[in-house]
Amino acid sequence: MSYKSFKIARILIAAFIAMTVSIAVSTNNAYLAVSAVLIGMIVMFLVKKNVKAVLVDEMVKNIAGKSALMAYSITVPVLALLSLIFMFSNLGNEGSYFYNLGIIFSYIALFNMAVYSFAYYYYRKKYGSDEE
Amino acid sequence: MLITIIEKNMAQMKNNIKVLRAEKGITQEELADKVNVTRQTIIAIEKNKYIPSLELAYKISLFFNKKIEEIFKYS
Repeated sequence: MSYKSFKIARILIAAFIAMTVSIAVSTNNAYLAVSAVLIGMIVMFLVKKNVKAVLVDEMVKNIAGKSALMAYSITVPVLALLSLIFMFSNLGNEGSYFYNLGIIFSYIALFNMAVYSFAYYYYRKKYGSDEE
Repeated sequence: MLITIIEKNMAQMKNNIKVLRAEKGITQEELADKVNVTRQTIIAIEKNKYIPSLELAYKISLFFNKKIEEIFKYS
């Protein structure tokens, strides 16, 4: 499959998922939405497997890496700051909605940091260490 | 800071892939296929917006049958 055909197939799969999910939402059918997304993912995987053209190369990976680092650098401080604001502004009201939201945000920020640390440690081990 | 240093280095890195490609009469897409990258990567390298890895630089130099320093110039 050529890159042009892949692009067309990608648009068709996205349209199929969007249409089916919107039908599922309007008919209040969760199973239809989940199955549409799953079918879309499987078809996308099969289509990607049959593409002859190069889809990911070193520049794409480079850009993805920089984007991921930027997303992480923005997301974690924003979530941490929001969690602090939500929690400290509701100190006398611990069970409130915003207090709980603050706790959830802080856990998401911590989870992000843990994943980043794990990935950083893994790639540092993979690509080099202090040992000569 | 690091990004600024890399971007400054990018400005100092030049290449003559466009000329070599024209001499050989091949398109960006054909070169991209030969060295296993996307056409966008070849465009970025030709415009000196992206510095290729050593592996890709070798692949390009092997394709044109030239030394790396004959294609990529650092000034």
